[in-house]
This record gives sequence, structure tokens and C-alpha cells, in this order.
Amino acid sequence: MPFRRLLRRWQGALLSIVGIVATVWLGVNGQLGLYIHPRYFVFTMVMALIAAALVVAAFALVTAAEDEHEILDDGGRWAWLWSAGSILIIVSATVGLLVLPPATLTTATVAKRDLNGSTSDLTQSEADSLVGGDYSTFTVRDWSSLLRQGAGEDFFADKTATVTGFVTPDTSDPENVFFVARFVVSCCAVDAQPVGIPVYYPGWQDEYPTDSWVSIESGFETNPSISSEEAIVLVPSTITPTEQPAQPYVY
Amino acid sequence: MSRTTALRPFAARKRPGRGLIVGLVIIGLVILLRAFAPEAPADTLADTVRDFVTLSISVVIESLPFVFLGIVLSIVVQIWLPEGFLLRRLPKNPAARRVVLSLLGMLLPVCECGNVPLARGLIAKGLTVGESMTFLFAAPILNPVTIITTQQAFGWDSGILVWRIAGGFLIANLIGYIYSRHPKPESLLTPRFQDACALGDHHDAADGKIKRSAGLFTKETSAMLPALFIGAGLAGLIQTAVSREVLVTLGSSPVWSVLALMALAFVVSICSNVDAFFILSFGATFMPGAIVAFLVFGPMIDIKMLALLRTTFTAKTLVQLTLIVALCSAALGLAINYAV
Repeated sequence: MPFRRLLRRWQGALLSIVGIVATVWLGVNGQLGLYIHPRYFVFTMVMALIAAALVVAAFALVTAAEDEHEILDDGGRWAWLWSAGSILIIVSATVGLLVLPPATLTTATVAKRDLNGSTSDLTQSEADSLVGGDYSTFTVRDWSSLLRQGAGEDFFADKTATVTGFVTPDTSDPENVFFVARFVVSCCAVDAQPVGIPVYYPGWQDEYPTDSWVSIESGFETNPSISSEEAIVLVPSTITPTEQPAQPYVY
Repeated sequence: MSRTTALRPFAARKRPGRGLIVGLVIIGLVILLRAFAPEAPADTLADTVRDFVTLSISVVIESLPFVFLGIVLSIVVQIWLPEGFLLRRLPKNPAARRVVLSLLGMLLPVCECGNVPLARGLIAKGLTVGESMTFLFAAPILNPVTIITTQQAFGWDSGILVWRIAGGFLIANLIGYIYSRHPKPESLLTPRFQDACALGDHHDAADGKIKRSAGLFTKETSAMLPALFIGAGLAGLIQTAVSREVLVTLGSSPVWSVLALMALAFVVSICSNVDAFFILSFGATFMPGAIVAFLVFGPMIDIKMLALLRTTFTAKTLVQLTLIVALCSAALGLAINYAV
């Protein structure tokens, strides 16, 4: 019973500590962007520090005298199940947030979320405003929006894309074409939608594993692939493997 | 299952400072654990498992500060504001009270996760169950951050913002009205939360406000955080199991588009403050009624929210609430699709 009472009283504080340490650690190491949009960084860190102060105050001030008012629910013979569930949640949270290394989403999620579907593009007016801009600063999202909204071969003929993204196969011709892709995030990784630019590079699998990060500087051409559904592709002469950037998502 | 509730005499008081040392030791150990954890992504995990972990953590990291904010506001309402400060100012007429409560989010712009602990605090201070529901369901939509982001995403001309505000207001007030007619409203609450409310009247006034705040923080985090972690895990699990492509293919049907985006809102569990940006990119694919249904249904009911609400309301109540909100949101979406 004392263990159950301790667990019931302090499980929130323990989970708070796990969440706070994970959040602050990610923030200090510049990795919060793996999970949430940058607009939340300051708010998230401030609330973590306020919560940390409250946790410390709780340990310092909440005494056994509080038990005078404690509710005791014996829970019958299934009481152990409640304790087991609590421990499972605390252990799972600790492993997920603190033991496993921070990571981005992978190609497994690309397959679930309609790469370059209409859901991940810029709006038509946003895409229109890109035309005539500084093409050297365009992201994967900018180029993929222009491709999807039918800018046409003439438009792309003299353009050079300089982009970085992860490798994910084109399902319509996985042997010869892959996408250099990014996830677009509006709130957190849960709403991430994949966007990508098709790259014609036969035998790419031998050099660049799926989910590895690459940088490409290349012009656009008509897709030489017969089976791929993509009309215009990058046809790079060289592809440079690179490290995952500090902010792997685009916004 | 039998249930016993008792006030247990305490045996021994903790020595001053001992708890602080225990707390600091635990925090130090957790920091050490994180410091010695591997930094490189775990290649041993299958991609699907890795993404499940990433998605679940994402929900936790995004929601946790809002839950903390809600708990802090709840502490302010229960301990720091003068007795009856908020409730005394509400109109006496029940309908007018609900109208005012549905606008309370304008003053306390917390997203839906933070509203749950705040609503618990308001119930503990005397708000009725029906009134708390009106606040809970209206506040995520009728708050300045949500209104500004929806306006930025869709503007005024599309009508989506107006429908969202009107829909959220009407549904929240309807639910408040329905549950105000309940003969035993306390039976809508979990027994544990009923007990906590009962004990709230027996606060030891001799304790300082800081100590009571710390005590309330431990109680509220113990209620809310397990629910948040369970909700995050479920949201991550369903996201890795269900293909979003299936939903998107339903976009052009007046009926299916509404149901598809409501299902998406339920699964994605996205914060109401930014859901307009997320759904904006669906605008070209889905009909306006479906967008409105997403923007009205999502802030009220989703996986994460149900897990959080379960700390306070019985499962039967949550099933009823889900059905009412879903039917009203669907009716609103369908009416817009067919009438506009």
C-alpha cells in the first residue's frame, strides 16, 4: 500500500521530470526541431523551466502530512494492475524520451502520407509568388510546389536547383528514380507531410541508401524513365552524401 | 468492484529538506541517464517502430507545455485568486452563464490540452459539469490565437472562420444545455475526480499558498500526464498504422469529405491554435464543409483529448459527448457543402 500511495502521488512529478529533462536537453542541443515547429521553441522552454521550478517546490514542500487528506482507493484485487500500468507508463516514457536517441521520421511515414499530394504543397498564390524569386534559396518544398502546379518544361529549362533532403524511392520506377525529400511541418511531426523532387539516377540504391541525406545541384530535364509518373526530374551528374541538417523539416 | 474512500491519518512528517534532496537526486539521475544515452538514431529499430516513437514523442513535446500552462492556470484559479473571483462575476441566468463561459477562452488562450486541467480547477471551485463542458469545448476555438491563425490561413471571405466560430459556439452551448438538464450531473464525473473535488473543500488553510500550489501541481500532473502519455502513444500508433492517402482520396464527395476530415482530425490530434495552417493545404482537395467540420470537431474531440478528458469524465459520458459533437460537426459540414 505505501508503494502504491507513493506511486499515485508522485507519478506526475516523475513523468514531469522525464518530460522536462527531455525537452530542455533537446532545446539546449538544438534538436527541438525534430519534433515541433520553431514557433514553439521559446514557449516550450519557458514552460519546461516553470514546471521544473514547480517540481522542485513539490519535492521540497509536499510532506507526508498531505496524506491526511489523501484518498485511498483500494481498487480491490486488481489494484496491482493500476500500479503495473503506472510503472509501464513511466518506464515507456523514460525509454522513449531519454534512452532512445532523437530521430526524424523515415520513409515508412512517406509511404503513409502521399508524397507530394495536394496536402503538402504551397497554395497556388504562394507558388505563383515564387516565380521570379531567388531560385538559389528555394527549398525542396518550393521546387516541388512549382513542379506539381505545372510550371512547365520551359520554365524549368534554365533553372538550377540546389537542395538537400533524404532519399526515398519513386514507387512508379524505384530502380531509376528517387525523390530528394523533406517533411513539411505546421505544428509538430505528427502533421508532417512529405514533399520531394524526383531525381533520375539509375542504380541509385547502390550508392545512396533510402533515408540517407544527400545534397544535389542540378538542372531540370524531361524524365528519361518510361515507367515513372514524374514528367520533369533532376538529372544530376554527382550527388553528395551529407549529414542530416539540424532542422530536418521545412515550414 | 468495491470502492472504499477514507481519510488516512498520517504517520510521520517528512523532515524539512529531505524531500528536496530526494527530488534533486532523482532529477540528477534522469539527467545522467539522458547524458549517457546514445546520440545516433537506433538503426536496430524497424522504420515503422522508429516513426511510432518519433510521432508519440512529438505529441508529448508539443502538448506538455500547454498541459503545464493549464495546470498553472488551474492553480491560480483555485489557490491564488480570491474565493469566487471568477464564478461570482458570471451571470445568474444559466444560458447567459454558458455564453460568457464559452468566451472565457478569449481571456485564457490555452489550447485544448491545457483547458482540461483548467476546467478541473473550475469544477473544483463550483462550476457545474454542464458549464465546464461549455468552457472545455468552446475555449479551444473561441480564443484569440485560434481566431488569428484561422483568419491568416483562410481570410474572412471564404466564410470558414465565421462558420468555425459559430459552430464551436453553438455546439459548446448546446452540450452545456443538454448536460445542465442531467438529473445527477456528478455521476458524469469519475469517482476519483468527485473525491478530489470533495476534498478540495477541506484544504488546510494554514498551509501557505506556495505549499498548496506545489501539492496541487503533484495531484494534477499525476492525473493528467499518464493520460497525455497514453494519448500520445495511441496517436502515434494509429498514425503509423493508418494510411492518410485513403482519406485524401475521399475529398471530392460532399458526404465522404466531411467524414474523412473528421476522421483525420480525430487521428492527427493537432493543436487547435495551428490546425488551420495544417488543413489549409487540404483546401484544394476537400470541400469547404469538410474543412469546417475538421476545424470544429478536432479541437473538441480527438484521441489525445479523449485520454485527457477520461481523467475527469466517465467513459459513458465521453461516448455520448463524442457522438453529439460528431453529429453536430457533420451536420454543419454537410449543410455548408450542400447549401453554400
